[in-house]
Amino acid sequence: MSVSYIPVQWNGFKHRYNLALALAVGLYLWIFVELGPALLGHASPITPPIHNARAFGSCAFLMMSVILMIGPLARLDGRFLPLLYNRRHFGVMTALVALSHFLFVFNWYFVFTPLPSWEALLFSNTAYDRALGFPFEAFGMFALLALLILAATSHDFWLSFLTPRIWKSLHYLIYPAYAAVVAHVTLGAAQGVRGLAFPALVWALALLVAGLHLAAWRKERGAAAAMGEWVPVCRPEEIEEGRARVVRLAGGERAAVFRHEGRFSAISNACAHQNGPLGEGRVVDGCVTCPWHGFQYRVDDGCSPAPFTEKVPTYRLRLRAGLIEIDARANPPGTPVQPLEAPR
Amino acid sequence: MRARDEFFIGFFPIPPGLRPFLAAIAAALILLFAVAGWFAASTQAAPDEAGFRFDFGRQEVTGVLSLHPYPVIRVTEGSERLAAGRTVMLSGGGKFAPPQVAALDRRLVKAGGVILRRGDLDMLQIGGGERNLSAAEGDAPALSPPERLGRWRLEGEICDGKCAAGAMRPGRGLSHKACANLCITGGVPAVFVSAAPIEGATFLLMAGPEGGPLPPEALAFTAAYVSVEGEIERIGDLLVFRIDPATLRAL
Ligand code: FES
Repeated sequence: MSVSYIPVQWNGFKHRYNLALALAVGLYLWIFVELGPALLGHASPITPPIHNARAFGSCAFLMMSVILMIGPLARLDGRFLPLLYNRRHFGVMTALVALSHFLFVFNWYFVFTPLPSWEALLFSNTAYDRALGFPFEAFGMFALLALLILAATSHDFWLSFLTPRIWKSLHYLIYPAYAAVVAHVTLGAAQGVRGLAFPALVWALALLVAGLHLAAWRKERGAAAAMGEWVPVCRPEEIEEGRARVVRLAGGERAAVFRHEGRFSAISNACAHQNGPLGEGRVVDGCVTCPWHGFQYRVDDGCSPAPFTEKVPTYRLRLRAGLIEIDARANPPGTPVQPLEAPR
Repeated sequence: MRARDEFFIGFFPIPPGLRPFLAAIAAALILLFAVAGWFAASTQAAPDEAGFRFDFGRQEVTGVLSLHPYPVIRVTEGSERLAAGRTVMLSGGGKFAPPQVAALDRRLVKAGGVILRRGDLDMLQIGGGERNLSAAEGDAPALSPPERLGRWRLEGEICDGKCAAGAMRPGRGLSHKACANLCITGGVPAVFVSAAPIEGATFLLMAGPEGGPLPPEALAFTAAYVSVEGEIERIGDLLVFRIDPATLRAL
C-alpha cells in the first residue's frame, strides 16, 4: 500500500491480465492491418499509413469503451472486480495505441507541407462553424492529451502526491475524453467508410457504455438517502458475517456497517486509496478489505494494519427497537469505536 | 474463510471459485477484439482507382507553362502518355507546387516527371532542379485562346488535385480535409470533382473569380459535398472553373 512505491507490483494475476490484453489488442491490429487489405481486395488499396492510422485509432476507441465498461460492470456484478484491479495497465496501453494512431496521422498528413507540421495540424482547417468539415482533429487531440495525462499520473505515487480527491477529479477526465473521441470518430473516420456499419458500431459501443453507467447509478441510488442524526440501518440478522450493509447519510456520504464475529462496526464506505466501495468488500483477518485494490482497515478503528498508515472515518452504532442505527456524524479518521454487540 | 473462496484481493492468488469466470472473460475479450478488428477492417470503403504511375516511366514533354490559377503546362511536344495539345496540371514533391515554376510563367519549358492518374485527370509531379523543369529553346508559340462555356452551377467536391489523383488513397473526403487545405495552400492545383460530367469531364481545375488561385474563404468548403456557381472555360483540353465564392453552399 503506501509505505513504499514500487514502480509496478507484479504478480501472476497481473501477468495473465496483461497477456490477455496484449493478445486481444495484438489480434485486433494484426487482423486490421495484415488481413484487412486482402479481405477488402481493393483494386487501389488504401495507402498504408492511412490504413494503419485507422487500425490504431479504431482499436484505441474499442479499448476506451471496454475500460469504461469495467467500472459499472463491477458495481453490477462483483465478479468483474478483478478487472478493475489493474485497469491502470489497460489505460496505459490505450494511451500508447492512441499515440500510435496520432503519429501515423501526423507523419503522413502533416509533413512535407507549406506550414510547419504543428501549425498545419492546428490551423490548416479552421471550419469550426460547420459540422461537415469540422476540424475533428481537435477532438482527437484533446482526448489524446487527456489519455496521456491519465497514463502519466496513473501510478499510486501520483495518487498520494495529488491527494485522492484531486487525483480522482483529474481522472474523471476520461469521460470528456471519451465523448471527444466519439465526436472525433463521428465527424472524421465515420465519414470515410462504406455504409453505416462502422458508425453504427461506434455508437452502439458508446450507448452501451452510457447504459451501463446508468444501470450502476440506478442500483446505487436505490439505497435512498436517510436523514437525521441517528439513521436506522437494518436488523442485525440482515447483515451476513464478514459483509456489510451500505447506508447513505445526509450530505451524500456513505457508511458501511460490517458484521465481524457477531459484532457490528461502521466505517466510511470510501476507501482512502481511490474511493473504492469498502462496503462491497469483506472482512478478512479482522480487516475490511477493499474490493478494488485490497487496501485493508481494521473494523473497529478504520486504521490500516501496520506498517501501513491509511485511515478512514468511523461511525458510532446503537441498537433501537431491534434496529441497528448509525450516528450520521462521522468520527475523525482512525477513531476507535467499541463494536456493537448483537442481541443474543 | 468461506468469503475468501470467491472474494478477489489483488495481492492474494485468485480465489478458485472466480477462476473459470475470469478465464471466460479473458477469452471473450480476445474474441471480441478479433471480431471487432475483422468487422472494422471490412467496413473500409474502396478508394477511387488512382495513383502514381511509375509503371509508365518518366514522361518528358515540352510546352508552355502557365501559373494562373495554378501551374499547368500546355503540351506542344508530347510524350508517350501526354500528347501534344493537352493541358496538364503540375505539382512538386510533397504538398507543394514545383519550386522552379516562379520564373518561367508563359515561357516555353521542358518538363519531366511521373504521372499521377485518376480517370481523365492527369497530374505531372516534377522533382526539383533543372533536369526536371527548365526553359526550352525558342519563344512560346501562340496558343488557342480560352473558350468560354458560360456560367454554371455545379455540385461536387473541392479537392487538391494531387491527392485526388492518387497521391493518397483515399485523397478525398472529410477525413482528408486538413491535408487538402495544406496542398492547396502549398500551390498544388485545386480541382473540382463534379458529381455529373461537364462536357465529358468529371474534373475541373479551379480558380478564383479573377482567374487567380482559390480565395482563402473557399477552404472552409473543401472535402465536403458542395454546390457552387461560376464561369467555365476550356484551355486546351482542360476545363477551368472560376468560382464565385459567395455562391458556395454545403449540401
Ligand atoms: S480503492 Fe484501491 S484499494 Fe480501495
